[in-house]
Amino acid sequence: MSENQAAAPVLLQLRAVSRVLAGRRVVADLNLNLDRGSVLGLLGVNGAGKSTTLRMIAGLLTPSSGQVLIGGVDLREERAVARRLGFLPEQAPLYPELRVQEYLAFCARLRGLRRDAIAPAVSRIIERCGLGDVRRRLLGNLSKGFQQRVGLAQAIVHAPELVVLDEPASGLDPLQAVQIRALVRELGQEHAVILSTHLLPDVQACCERVAILHEGTLRYDGPRQALGDDLEAIFLRVVSGGDAAVAA
Amino acid sequence: MSLVIARNELRRLFAQPLAWALLAAVVVVLAYFFLLTLQGFLVLMPKIAGNAASPGVTDLVALPLTRAIASVLLLVVPLLGMRAFAGDRVALPLLLTSGLSDARVVLGKYIGLVAFLALLILATLAMPLSLQVATALDLGRIAVAALGLMSFAATLAALALWASALAQQPAVAAGLALVLNLLLWMLDAGARYEGVSSDFINYLALPTHLEPFLHGIVATVDIAYFLLLSTVALALTTRRLAASRVRG
Repeated sequence: MSENQAAAPVLLQLRAVSRVLAGRRVVADLNLNLDRGSVLGLLGVNGAGKSTTLRMIAGLLTPSSGQVLIGGVDLREERAVARRLGFLPEQAPLYPELRVQEYLAFCARLRGLRRDAIAPAVSRIIERCGLGDVRRRLLGNLSKGFQQRVGLAQAIVHAPELVVLDEPASGLDPLQAVQIRALVRELGQEHAVILSTHLLPDVQACCERVAILHEGTLRYDGPRQALGDDLEAIFLRVVSGGDAAVAA
Repeated sequence: MSLVIARNELRRLFAQPLAWALLAAVVVVLAYFFLLTLQGFLVLMPKIAGNAASPGVTDLVALPLTRAIASVLLLVVPLLGMRAFAGDRVALPLLLTSGLSDARVVLGKYIGLVAFLALLILATLAMPLSLQVATALDLGRIAVAALGLMSFAATLAALALWASALAQQPAVAAGLALVLNLLLWMLDAGARYEGVSSDFINYLALPTHLEPFLHGIVATVDIAYFLLLSTVALALTTRRLAASRVRG
């Protein structure tokens, strides 16, 4: 993949994506691009359409209209392109009855890793996500912080180009949240990362680019630096009807 | 790739108490039944010993047991299959975003469940087979009966998966699958009581196609029936999964 990166199409492209759920337009006309080597924070209050957007990117939901393209390919046309992304839903998709190591090996095998590549990939990811001490523990017996880390590990065990994280630090204690943010920041160096959050510290700690979503529409999309230091005030102005670009 | 999911399903079944408890309960109940029929046969044996045309131990012990296994499967398969989708809503995104087609996901879960049922049938058939030590069984007929039981169990498994994809809660899925099983089991009996003799209704009922196997007859029509019913149920399950992406 890397040798033809220069000619490759944009990694993630949302073209006029809309989604209606139960008669309500949850996401409207969303256009978004994301390329390799950047971390995009999708910021919004609860119900802004963040999770719906990420579920459409991951292929769990099909858009009511518009297109989601991964490397120029529509997921609906070629399901296998989903292997180029890793997805952590709001609730980590774990099997409580499995052990950390066997669960991650299953995830790697599921995403088509070769048999001889599975053990090294799992060891690497266990090391990277700090799961060494719990590798033989049952997932159901882990603390929320460790479960979230395993959730993150399953999303990246197959070294995808795009990592999609839905509220990765929600429900964690401050220390666990700091650790997860550090991990996400690290991921941004090798993968394209899109994460949704309503927590401003998540954005401040991990993202160089911010997209503010409110009532299903994109209100701001640009570098975090452009918004200055007082992200909170700007965010509140945007969600109460103001314009982030003007505010910045 | 479906086999990766199948192996994982099997591992998960054995990691939970439900499967072990059901396996143990089925073996205990059927062992009791086996001992009763064996006792009956031993009482009867002196009377029929001189008559070459009289039924032997295969007819009087082994085959009644296969009929009992079929009845137990009607109740047990819904319980084993109920969690395939209905109890797996949290972890299902892992499979649905893995890049595999929905049909392969369904097939993987199906193969896992059928493999477990094969073990269960083998464990129970081991009881009459143990008589081979002391007497001569008609192994051909027992093999045909086993084939019939396997086809029957595989069909029930497909129905259980469909019910599990339709329902939100595992208990509802089990109830639905049980109703489906019993309806298909008794379909022709109702018509017969009413004096209606319809080939079509007879064709739809499960026992019409299981009984020939228990009499040592392998007919294409019966194999086709089980294959057709399983395929339809699995196709409906796949459709249901695909619809969940559209409906949300």
